[in-house]
Amino acid sequence: MSDLTPLHDLLDHHVVGHDEVKTALLLALITREHIYVEGPPGTAKTRLAEVAARGSDLDFFFYQLHRDTRLAELVGDIVLERRKVQTDGAAPGTAGEAERIHQRIEPGGLLTAEIAVLDDISRAPGEALNVLLRILNERRFGAEPIPLMAAIATGNPMDDEYYNEPLDPANLDRFALQLRVSGLIQSGVDEAKTLIDRFAAGSVVEQPDPAPVTDRATLDALNQRMYEVEVGAAVRAALLDVLRTLVLEFECNETNSLLTDRTFLVKAIKILRGAALLAGRDTVDLPDLAALSWMTTFRVPPEAHEALPRIIGRVSRQIQAV
Amino acid sequence: MTQPAPDRRTTELATVFVDLRTALGRVLIGKDDAATGLTLALLAEQHAYLEGPPGCGKSELAADLAALSGARTHTLVFHRDIRESDLLGDVLLSRHRHRGHERLRRELIPGPLLQAEVALLEDLPRSPGEALGPLLRILAERHALGQPLPLESAVATGPLEQVEAPIDPLEPGQLDRFAVQLRLTGLLTGGLFDEAAVLLEREAARESSRAGVRAAAGSGHAPAAANAAPRAAVMNTTTRNAAQRAAAALRVEPRTIDAYHRLLDRLRQRSADESASGDRLMSDRSFSSAALRLVRAHAFLRGAPAAAPRDLGAIRYMVAHRLPEEVQEDFDHILEELLGDPPNVTMTETGAQMPGAQSQGDDSDGAAAASSASDSWIDDQADLPAPPTLFGKPPPPAQVDPLLRALVGRIERGRIDPDTDPGGQPRGYRPLRDLDEVIDADVIEALLFTEGRLPGAPRTFERKRRSAGGAVAVLRDISASMAGRLTVWSSQVVLGILRVAARRRMRVGYVEFHHRALPHQVGGRLLHRSYSRLAEQAGQAKAVGQTNYEAPLRTALEGLRGGSGRNRHIVLLTDGLPIIGDTSVRRERQLARRLGVALHTVFLGNGDCPPVLDDISLETGGLRFCGRPLAGGGLRLEER
Repeated sequence: MSDLTPLHDLLDHHVVGHDEVKTALLLALITREHIYVEGPPGTAKTRLAEVAARGSDLDFFFYQLHRDTRLAELVGDIVLERRKVQTDGAAPGTAGEAERIHQRIEPGGLLTAEIAVLDDISRAPGEALNVLLRILNERRFGAEPIPLMAAIATGNPMDDEYYNEPLDPANLDRFALQLRVSGLIQSGVDEAKTLIDRFAAGSVVEQPDPAPVTDRATLDALNQRMYEVEVGAAVRAALLDVLRTLVLEFECNETNSLLTDRTFLVKAIKILRGAALLAGRDTVDLPDLAALSWMTTFRVPPEAHEALPRIIGRVSRQIQAV
Repeated sequence: MTQPAPDRRTTELATVFVDLRTALGRVLIGKDDAATGLTLALLAEQHAYLEGPPGCGKSELAADLAALSGARTHTLVFHRDIRESDLLGDVLLSRHRHRGHERLRRELIPGPLLQAEVALLEDLPRSPGEALGPLLRILAERHALGQPLPLESAVATGPLEQVEAPIDPLEPGQLDRFAVQLRLTGLLTGGLFDEAAVLLEREAARESSRAGVRAAAGSGHAPAAANAAPRAAVMNTTTRNAAQRAAAALRVEPRTIDAYHRLLDRLRQRSADESASGDRLMSDRSFSSAALRLVRAHAFLRGAPAAAPRDLGAIRYMVAHRLPEEVQEDFDHILEELLGDPPNVTMTETGAQMPGAQSQGDDSDGAAAASSASDSWIDDQADLPAPPTLFGKPPPPAQVDPLLRALVGRIERGRIDPDTDPGGQPRGYRPLRDLDEVIDADVIEALLFTEGRLPGAPRTFERKRRSAGGAVAVLRDISASMAGRLTVWSSQVVLGILRVAARRRMRVGYVEFHHRALPHQVGGRLLHRSYSRLAEQAGQAKAVGQTNYEAPLRTALEGLRGGSGRNRHIVLLTDGLPIIGDTSVRRERQLARRLGVALHTVFLGNGDCPPVLDDISLETGGLRFCGRPLAGGGLRLEER
């Protein structure tokens, strides 16, 4: 498989099920894209994020967002600098000493981390997040590039009962990968049994923080290799056909969707390359298009998102037939 | 205004700006109109406002304009908590001993924004109105802290006005500071799939040329990353300023001025036809000096010796927020009609080829080449996709305005004043009450406070947030008699109400009714915030069946019953007498009174308004409207 198998194993060791989220987390680390995981409380969202972050031996920043979150809490301390200056005394009686006061931010938190876990991002007021998400997007603060590789955000479903305001759609767009998780027990999948068995055996209760199983060099090398993965004309044509279908058949437009050029024409190529690399290939194949459904979760209307595997299947068959 | 024909120097200056335009056009695929608009803005020293959906390359285009222009640039990202010192500069606090006491003075040291020649204002509408005030004044006056600013152009970006966005759009008056207003569309959502394919191919060819330069890997839009190096300036400040001066001094032909008068007349007329509120914003400021600067810049860019009527094409870059959308879409047509022949029938060359074409010519040929190449400035616009509209449908025409305005008044009245909320917007100052709040305190006063020099507590931001509470349910008669024009009209009313509700984050409910009530629920609830989905449904209503008031009112009131709080409204749209159910809806009126729900009624049609509608509204403090169809189409709306 890939060089990230140890990390995948580590995730398996700590969290039962949620295979899609695990793969998507690895994909985020390879492609250096941000990921947003939404699900009801108690579905191991934060745990998954934490294990992935700690397991990769990167500078780690964890922040629990809340209603009053301010920028300063995320980016470091606000520092007031005071400097003595001499005034020229142009106006009568004003010669003498003066102080120049300058407010700046001493970088910390998100600005110095390589991987960030932003827990409960939907609890922060949508608008306060604007600058944070811009930093995530541009990976720079002011003129300074920041070392951040990926941010993993979690959130609760945007229903009324969770008392949070929906994230601004433009803000959600900063997270290239978006997944929805549901509880194992609630959805009645087989893994629910495994989960209960594991707790019955008492092996999960006192788990220490995971030790790193991969490192920055490995991730850097993978990121380099990602750019060598070939994206052929057939895959590009298929991708465009899928997007065309979303726009023309499912009527995705600016008001009901976030079908942005940045995400689906630029980042999608990276995600496809990463998916191929995770599968151990150096060429993107048509089945890799399945990774697109990790990008559409909150970007297109639910019916279009659900139809995506079908659309991809149909488009792939047409392309293969040609 | 002395030079009659362009000399070599002028032609050179024009070429430099054509180069800028060409380079900008390469930045983003399929955004030629925006590239032209921005080039004109810089040349005419006007401010520009770029709006568009996220991820369509607004910021990148603006940043590239700044880089290519070689201007001293400052970028400011607007956010909720932006402060005066971010806009203006550091504080200089001076203390002077004066006969045994100390005098404190507070001054501002001009910050980078005030020294910028090109200012980039990202996400401008995200900042609270309070912070915008001083900034917009500076932009207009180009003067701050008693000094003239070197500012040539400010380029602001903002999101597309969208129902579900949590921010209030800029007001027309604020937008008017930006002479050039451009709307970008996404390639995908704009249906430009050929361009999208080009972009995909570019991306697929991208290799990680910048190992270790991680910062650039995820940034911005692809094309910039494709040529990873920062864009090299195509001009310097001396050239730029010389071109600006030359463009500003260009002669405007008398027939151009004449044509401009006629153009303004036509635009005014058309706007009045389309919208009862008339011209949306044809301010003197914009349509005198700024417009003519742009027209001159357009001519200058063509290499023309004077501004000809065709250069009025530059006005199209001004209209995005100033004219009703129908008129905007029709702008090219209106101009064409006015000028007689379509201005761009013989267009052959593109702007990109201009420098080459020109280098072959001698002096006079140079100008000729420039002017033939520049036909493309107008042609760029020929295939401009229609600007996106709210919900993908035309906005409500003016006839619904009186109703919406009255309704907004009621809704605002019912809303509680903004609540103090630590996550809200700064809406003024108050004394510090708690040390936690020091983060929001005025820096200087906090400093003096800690030194024991301030008598009393420092001021700190008072943060408030509009309560997102409230709910509005729209009950819409879709009985058979509502067919045709009334259906279209009531769809527009519903869309308008949805937009009003969305901006205030009120929950909405939508019930269509004939003899039965057909609630449109989302997630099992009548009241929710899925505005777009309701908007879609409202556009699809078909008229069938007979009228029943009881069922829909009951459904809506049951939906509202669960919640609490003030500011709950029901809007009943109907054209007929109730035939089925309790025709006097006694129980529902009672329930509405008890719940404190205002029932607004709108009667449509030429017949007599059923008295029961008056009773409903009067008892619950609701509005009463009636809409009378007019003979020539349209509807006259008035209060009953």
